[in-house]
Amino acid sequence: MLNSKTIRRFAGLASVSLLLAACSSGGTDTEASGEINVFLIPSPSSTSIQSFIPDFEKETGIKVNVSETPYGEAHQKQLLSYQQKAGAYDVAQFDNTYLMPFCQAQAMLPLDGYLADSSEYDIADFGQSQQDYGKCNGETLGLTLSTEPMIQWYRTDIYEKLGLKPATTWDEYFNNAKKVQADGHGGQIIGFGPNVSWWWMTMVWSFGGKLYDDALNPTVNSKEAIAATDFLKKLMTVSPKGAATANSDEVTSKFLGEDIGAMINYSGYYGSVLDKTINKNEGKIGTAPMPVGAVDITHLAGWNIGVPKDAKNPDAAWKFLEYVLGKTNAKKYLESGAAAIGRRSITTDADLLAKFPYLAQLEIPSSSRIERYPQIAVWPEFEVAAIDAVTQVLNGKSDSTKALNALNEKLKPILAKEPK
Amino acid sequence: MPKRMKLTRPIGQFTVGAWVLLAVTVLIPIFYGIYISFLDIKLSSFLPPQFVGFDNYVAAFKAPETWATLKITLIMMVVGMLVQIPLGMALALVLHRNLKGSKIFSSILITPMLLTPVAVGLTFRFMFDTDLGIINWVLGFVGVENINWLGQQSTGIFAIILVDSWQSVPFVMLLLVAALGSISPQLYEAASIDGATARQTFLKITLPLITPTLLVVVMIKIMDFLKLFDTLFMLTRGGPGNETTTLGLWTYKTGFVFLEFSRAAALGVLIMIITAPVYFLWRRSTKENK
Repeated sequence: MLNSKTIRRFAGLASVSLLLAACSSGGTDTEASGEINVFLIPSPSSTSIQSFIPDFEKETGIKVNVSETPYGEAHQKQLLSYQQKAGAYDVAQFDNTYLMPFCQAQAMLPLDGYLADSSEYDIADFGQSQQDYGKCNGETLGLTLSTEPMIQWYRTDIYEKLGLKPATTWDEYFNNAKKVQADGHGGQIIGFGPNVSWWWMTMVWSFGGKLYDDALNPTVNSKEAIAATDFLKKLMTVSPKGAATANSDEVTSKFLGEDIGAMINYSGYYGSVLDKTINKNEGKIGTAPMPVGAVDITHLAGWNIGVPKDAKNPDAAWKFLEYVLGKTNAKKYLESGAAAIGRRSITTDADLLAKFPYLAQLEIPSSSRIERYPQIAVWPEFEVAAIDAVTQVLNGKSDSTKALNALNEKLKPILAKEPK
Repeated sequence: MPKRMKLTRPIGQFTVGAWVLLAVTVLIPIFYGIYISFLDIKLSSFLPPQFVGFDNYVAAFKAPETWATLKITLIMMVVGMLVQIPLGMALALVLHRNLKGSKIFSSILITPMLLTPVAVGLTFRFMFDTDLGIINWVLGFVGVENINWLGQQSTGIFAIILVDSWQSVPFVMLLLVAALGSISPQLYEAASIDGATARQTFLKITLPLITPTLLVVVMIKIMDFLKLFDTLFMLTRGGPGNETTTLGLWTYKTGFVFLEFSRAAALGVLIMIITAPVYFLWRRSTKENK
């Protein structure tokens, strides 16, 4: 039988152990070690991350195991793993569109504690919009893995020949495209195919509209949204025919491989400009900010990377993120082929700007309102419905007012399902 | 021990393995699918699933997409079979004659069947490209302007059926060649002696005798079209909009894009219910033929 002295000793020992355990979790002072499992999605960012692993392992002694899963199933696989609390991954790459489902599922570990203590990561090196990019309900659930605003791309040779300047307004953009088309080239290109929603919502925001209001009532049939949709259709008349079915990758490969005056697309595609197998117009690609409509907006997209809440080795995971995405390796990260991360020390670096002129577009002026993929869990269903309606307009099967009124009705029950 | 039991016992023991395998790979997933169709499982929600009765089925019946995608599936199925079965049969009849070069001809014909649908879909997507595709390039020589093949519903469905037919006709042909080979040559000799014409021989001897195989082909093709995915996904992804989305692809989108697993399970059960009569018709017809 245990006497009271033994019980007191045991209780004291347990208290000290618990106190030590509490002090060691979540802080950055402890020496991280062991092994981490990193979940990546095939992309230039993923390739760059992997290029750092041998040096990281040598320097820290932490073993890094990588698993790559294609985009189409990556987030589903992550959600399944988080639901089972399997602790399968210590670091996970995810698209910003999944930030809200991950947030609602409380799947990711808030990184604010680590960020506050890390001079190596130096969160102050990012503009406010970038600091907020991986935030949900005030907590940072993912670091920025790429900063990809939608920008204007143009062919410097064609524009120079025709005496054109990159457009500052949508009217100018259309007129430029018309002149380029009249000269025998493709006027401009955006994706009217399976990703048309990306350009459509950009237009809606730029024309002063919103997809839904603060109470989650759809507003896609506003006069601004209708004007934006009509303009999208107007752009089809100055686009090559193949744009009608092109997805975002095909838009890029067509612009870089064919004879097209301009393109609106994410800056993250600059890696393709440097790839001679894709870019047949080497040295003739210029970039400029996206034209401004009724409202100056920047459609900002990009990857996030974070630490799942069920990670078995979160301290080592943070150490890895800090190593790959910290200030010391920031240049090396960009030069290894990744889409740029909008650190001020990178976007204002003269040497880098000479090599990657598009970095200037990553310096988003504070006057420009940042718009991201809608941060709602029902976005995938919303998006499919929107693509269907916009396609009806683009194909001439319906006019924009009728199609968007129907879409607005259709979105009501979808948005009603959004967890409050 | 009664004679009957003596016979059945070892047979039962021999089939245990097959039954276990069948249960694990087919029966359990089916019953689990039916079970979760009555819950409200969403991959994006970590809340415990609730029983919702027939809500998912009601939602599926009410959704216009269910009917629109079912209509597209049926159009593809009917048109596809009208193309593939006569063409497969014509090729089978030619090969059955054992003409010179038949072996090389059949080897070439079955090549598309050996290719993965994803690779085929991707290759044809490039071929159908409006600006750079070889199909429009060839049509350009006869004065046809660039056609936006995958950007419209009618041409998109046509393209999907064409690609699926390119891969499926050899399969139909192979089954029918086997069926034709099983017909006794004496029947044809007797018909010839009786002065039957080629048309009469085909309608009175060949067709009735290959009907069970034809029914198998029809059943397989119906199921193939209901689960058509790879080629369709690579070619159009169900677009433009949802205009070439089949019920199968819609089920995939519901489950893996909208993350609504229970709703997708309900749609899966509906597809199973749609397929069931075809199976029972086939069973009945094979019994009648016996």
